[in-house]
Amino acid sequence: MKRFMMICNMELRLYTRDFFGFFFTLVFPVLMLLLFGSIFGNTPIYEGSDLNMIDVSVPAYAVMVMGVTGLISLPLILAGYKERKIYKRFDATLVGKKSIMAAQVFVNLIMTLMGISILLAAGKMIYNIQIKGSILSICLSILLSTAAMFSIGFLFTAIGHDLKSTTLLCYLFYFIMLFLSGATMPDMMFPDTIKKISAFLPMTHAVDLMQGAFAGDSLSLHGKELLILSLVTIVCTAAGAAFYRKKDWT
Amino acid sequence: MAQAIVQVEHLNLTYKHLHAVQDVSFSVKPGEILAIIGQNGSGKTSTVECVEGLRKPDSGSIQVFGKDPWQRRSEVYKEMGVQLQEAQYPSKIRVEEQCKLFASFYERPADWSLLLTQMGLDEKRKRPLHKLSGGEKQRLSIILSLMGRPKLLILDELTTGLDPEVRQNMWMSFETIRKSGVAIIMVSHYLDEVETLADKILYLEKGRQQFFGTQQAFRAYVKGRVSPKEWDENSSLEKLYLMIAPKTTGLTMEGIL
Repeated sequence: MKRFMMICNMELRLYTRDFFGFFFTLVFPVLMLLLFGSIFGNTPIYEGSDLNMIDVSVPAYAVMVMGVTGLISLPLILAGYKERKIYKRFDATLVGKKSIMAAQVFVNLIMTLMGISILLAAGKMIYNIQIKGSILSICLSILLSTAAMFSIGFLFTAIGHDLKSTTLLCYLFYFIMLFLSGATMPDMMFPDTIKKISAFLPMTHAVDLMQGAFAGDSLSLHGKELLILSLVTIVCTAAGAAFYRKKDWT
Repeated sequence: MAQAIVQVEHLNLTYKHLHAVQDVSFSVKPGEILAIIGQNGSGKTSTVECVEGLRKPDSGSIQVFGKDPWQRRSEVYKEMGVQLQEAQYPSKIRVEEQCKLFASFYERPADWSLLLTQMGLDEKRKRPLHKLSGGEKQRLSIILSLMGRPKLLILDELTTGLDPEVRQNMWMSFETIRKSGVAIIMVSHYLDEVETLADKILYLEKGRQQFFGTQQAFRAYVKGRVSPKEWDENSSLEKLYLMIAPKTTGLTMEGIL
């Protein structure tokens, strides 16, 4: 455990030294909140609704944080470490590559939670957002959505031949999901065709689940989202692990 | 007679259609230095990676401290330190952070602070790894291989990238380490280094073992393979090796002009 914590500590430091990861996890979502907040204001999402724009935007931006860590930061670190034979070097020690992989998942989870916390704090302080959901359903939604994003990133690393192809795959899916899932702009603004495409994206279901949990919906109302995100997590993790076992680590 | 720390018998390793290592056998005892020599692609690194437990051999037996390194890697690494040929470290990590991290893996780590001073890296402690020169990275890599106070050291291209003075110092250091009873397996293209340090030589060619034995026995092996006209009793190891190594053609001006 002491060794694992030491590796986590080191990986956390390295994360903070990476401008991209640091900025897009901790700073960018707050900037988005300020930008869209200044454009739309914290007005009701439709006439008569007791939910305001920022109330539904914050959980959506929280999914954006999960996307940055799960679809970009984690897979690109994994792919980079493999390509530069850093895992091989760790395999030639007492700890092995699994410890450092586990540490990277742990660190990205911590950064996701930090990013979401900063976002929530900014939302509360600047726009006094309403969080109607229970802590338990919000936490469960955050963990399940994060697990789904991480598992997709894990699968991309396993499929990608090298850092270049993994980067292409991750960026492509991240931006497609970011713009079509409702994570950056409300999906009610989308035309029907886009809405149909959007329904196939895991991030869309993460956004729906998170918005529902924050709005105080019972999770039983979001059975479809829970099922899809659970399936995505299980299938992508299992497929990723199968591809990983076939990879040449030397 | 001391028991062998490493015992390899009839090792075979194949990559898809390439038979990288074929029927290789050797052993290393405490305090011995074994040098593995041969051309590029002769199977040197593949052989040591099997001993390091990083590759699973197709057949044959490998025992390191009496254990199979592929099956019981974490146990073997308690007493084995390695320096890999190509491996890198996270580029933004600092020298002392990397040392602290590796030191945390072991119950009784080496005094890395002293090692940094001895290796001339004391002033580079705070420097990120990507700002180190090739030789400095190589020296750090050697420090990390010594971190667990190993009884077996495997060094793949020990002094590649080091300047002559540092190489000489490195030879003296490893001579001292060997005297303390540590067994060393080194892969090297520098035959002067091999001549200075190695007790035994394993010579590979296209994955096949051509010779395994002492330096003296290697001389006899070469003598038996060259004409009396070619033979010179006082030849250096490098000259001996060149007498028997497969010949390659150098560049001709034809292809350039």
